[in-house]
Amino acid sequence: MSRPLHFSAFVMNTASHITHGLWRDPRGEQIDFNDLQLWVSLAKTLEAGGFDAIFFADVVGLYGDYDGGWAHHARLGLQIPSNDPLVILSALASHTEHLGLAFTAGPIQEPPFNFARRVATLDHASQGRIAWNIVTSALENGWRNFGHDGLLAHDDRYRWADEYVDVLYKLWEGSWEDDALLADRGSGVYADPTKIHKIHHVSERYRVEGPFLVSPSPQRTPLLFQAGSSKVGRDFAARNAEAQFIVAPDPENARTLIEDTRRLVEEHGRHRDDLKFFQGLSFVVGSTEAEVRAKEADLEEKIDIDGMISHFGGSLGVDLGQYEPDTPIDTIHTEGGQSGLAWLRESTGGRTPTLGDLVRLRARGTRVAGTPEQIADRLALWRDAGVDGINVVNAFIPSSYEEFIDHVLPVLRERGLARGEYDPGTLRHKLFGGGDRLPDRHPAARYRGAFAPSATAVAR
Amino acid sequence: MSKRLRFNAFSMNCVSHIHHGQWVRDDTRQLDYSRLPAWVELAQLLERGKFDALFLADVIGTYDSYGGSRDAAVEEGLQIPVNDPALLIPAMAYATENLGFAFTSSVLQEHPFSFARQLSTLDHLTTGRVAWNVVTSYLQNAARNLGYGSLPVHEDRYRRAQEYVSVIYKLLEGSWEDDAVRRDTENRIYADPEKIHDIEHVGEFFDVVGPHLSEPSRQRTPVLFQAGASEPGRDFAARNAEAIFIPARSFESVRVNVADVRERASRAGRDPEDVLFFIGLSFIVGGTEDEALRKQTEIDELASPRGYAAHTGGSMGVDLAEIDLDTPIGELQGYNSQGFARSLIESAPDKTWTFGDLLRQRAASRIVGTPEQIADRLQEWSDAGVDGVNVTYFTTPGSFEDFVEGVIPVLQDRGLAQREYREGTLREKLKDGTSGPRLHDSHPGGAVRRERLVGVPA
Repeated sequence: MSRPLHFSAFVMNTASHITHGLWRDPRGEQIDFNDLQLWVSLAKTLEAGGFDAIFFADVVGLYGDYDGGWAHHARLGLQIPSNDPLVILSALASHTEHLGLAFTAGPIQEPPFNFARRVATLDHASQGRIAWNIVTSALENGWRNFGHDGLLAHDDRYRWADEYVDVLYKLWEGSWEDDALLADRGSGVYADPTKIHKIHHVSERYRVEGPFLVSPSPQRTPLLFQAGSSKVGRDFAARNAEAQFIVAPDPENARTLIEDTRRLVEEHGRHRDDLKFFQGLSFVVGSTEAEVRAKEADLEEKIDIDGMISHFGGSLGVDLGQYEPDTPIDTIHTEGGQSGLAWLRESTGGRTPTLGDLVRLRARGTRVAGTPEQIADRLALWRDAGVDGINVVNAFIPSSYEEFIDHVLPVLRERGLARGEYDPGTLRHKLFGGGDRLPDRHPAARYRGAFAPSATAVAR
Repeated sequence: MSKRLRFNAFSMNCVSHIHHGQWVRDDTRQLDYSRLPAWVELAQLLERGKFDALFLADVIGTYDSYGGSRDAAVEEGLQIPVNDPALLIPAMAYATENLGFAFTSSVLQEHPFSFARQLSTLDHLTTGRVAWNVVTSYLQNAARNLGYGSLPVHEDRYRRAQEYVSVIYKLLEGSWEDDAVRRDTENRIYADPEKIHDIEHVGEFFDVVGPHLSEPSRQRTPVLFQAGASEPGRDFAARNAEAIFIPARSFESVRVNVADVRERASRAGRDPEDVLFFIGLSFIVGGTEDEALRKQTEIDELASPRGYAAHTGGSMGVDLAEIDLDTPIGELQGYNSQGFARSLIESAPDKTWTFGDLLRQRAASRIVGTPEQIADRLQEWSDAGVDGVNVTYFTTPGSFEDFVEGVIPVLQDRGLAQREYREGTLREKLKDGTSGPRLHDSHPGGAVRRERLVGVPA
């Protein structure tokens, strides 16, 4: 029996997320991102079409300079302006039943106590459909918005993330016992104070007393996404994440990456299937090959290539506006995100990649163009390489998703590459089938029961 | 024709907010607080009743003074568990068109850069119906949850609050010019970089470069509520707030309070009429006086004195389980919510207030009777200078249903409540046409906008 893939819609609360320049087209309703209607309506469409989740990316600062500044980003709408992703999720939860709601946030944005409460509030409100994509924020400007002189070194950002999730795990998993909530109208006792505990967390950056203010939500800890593919990032994912967002240039590279990471997962005492891999792909769908070619040509014409280059360079902290197209990319050292560079090296089969390669590959490398049957063939290759799900990148909101739902998903279902009805339960249960909570072998589980009076000596 | 009052429903994303012990009833939905349907339906009810706003209180710690522990609070469901208030707003906003949404957030709990972006996001998706209640936190446990070790002293909290709102004003009012966003598909320009500015804020508590990440929303800065009654609290409110909560102790205390804050606002260079004054009241409504009294008896039988004591004592940092309720407040040391005590003393200069009085005070600000009797009393509050009422519930949505169905029509007949919503943003609605969608020019936030930061464009 073939294993179905999961599908999430990769979006951002902004006008120009990944495929730049397309808000200018009449089909690009992402220009209305300030309007709640766009997102509620998209969420309903995705749920009617059987998508597993909507996944909101985010940044908390400007991308690095292009041509000596950020004027280009503002003109293009390149993730500026952008709005908070987490805040809109309750409206989406209110109008859907099954769709997973994933958002992106990093440790520099908010104290862990407040963040833990906001996430748990949403997990209650959505009845267990929240996922958090853990990022470490690689944009210089983002750090300077939060009072830092600049970007913290890459590995130090992950040490901070470790400290941050440790506080969160204590609050989500350890502070309230499962049977703390009584809600007993007869006795008038709402909760049992002997089963709610302070966490007394003290570490380099945080002192958090507790108790947690929110009673246990359906998943307690939200489903944990992560996207880093540097060595340190992968190690973090192997220890903590339940889903990893990858952007491999082809199925073979994905296979290697996935196998390596699964090995790491096992080394950390987890099962190899405790981490699922979502590959980012965009699609051009046509009923004939001629139609596909015409649509792809139309798209190539409308995509803003400068935008694609500046986005990539900006995420590395490198001003690519200053370089010639044949500049070898890996001569440039950066403290920014390492994932993009690694991706590029793999894409050129080890040959030193140039800026020209970047332009070409960035625009086309992860695009799947074809008839629904051809797309299904390609997705079967990804699935056979070990990929568990696809993060579907859009050109146009909502029509990229409507096309995928109307034309591609039915074929995928026929071939067993997509599931039919939703499974019941929380997002975690839908993805893993093993219940609502994190498995006992996840590091967060060690805080369950750890703060009860008899156990505090150990936990501290 | 009477001056109309504004009405907010006062609630909180928790089980037991103000009137403790009532959650056990079958006819209240307090136990459903963590899910969305009860909130969405409440918002729709309030909009039918032409309420101005739903006002969501918040705390980020536990009330842990009573008996030296949080046990009483936990058992009573007294604001623990308590979920985030702002996150409820989008679901309710999507189901309504005119209702405003005010929520509480402390200057201790988030970084102003993140918070400003949340405000803009909320104001965009509600099309300008959001208000922020600025608080400085009074619970020790809140400060220890957020890594401060202990609660900063009162004056320091307000100094932090002043810098916090300054950063917010710079981001919301100063970073993007009105015509920065072009959305010009022809010339392929989303926004004009020359009109988006870094804020380069460097201060005692925060360093923030900017620019703000969201584009300007309808109101830019949401309507600003505040409740401080201490000396620095009143100064802060007079400088920044557009609506202020004051205690409903007596008509005279309201007059004194209103005059004092308007005077301070004027001294701070603001239009003194740019501030609205709200009091908190609860209502027990009956078709007849007998029915109202019968409902009152039901409520009083379930009311939890321990809940009220844990709440009041917790907010002042005083263990009321150990203190004789007859002790004069002047003889007590260590309370940290100075404004509360101060305004009590001020309102009764010739009387030695005790803690017992203080507790009973919470019950005293309730009005029991027929809709006509209630309207008479509200007329008196309006005459005393009150601009609006925060309606506190005993049961939800029951208390609000009683008010919407029984009292509002009578108030509308007397001109004491609006019949229709005014067009525009929450700010325009609340200020009855005396204001545009943005902060008044004389407001410090408006001044930031007016003077326009000269940043270094890209």
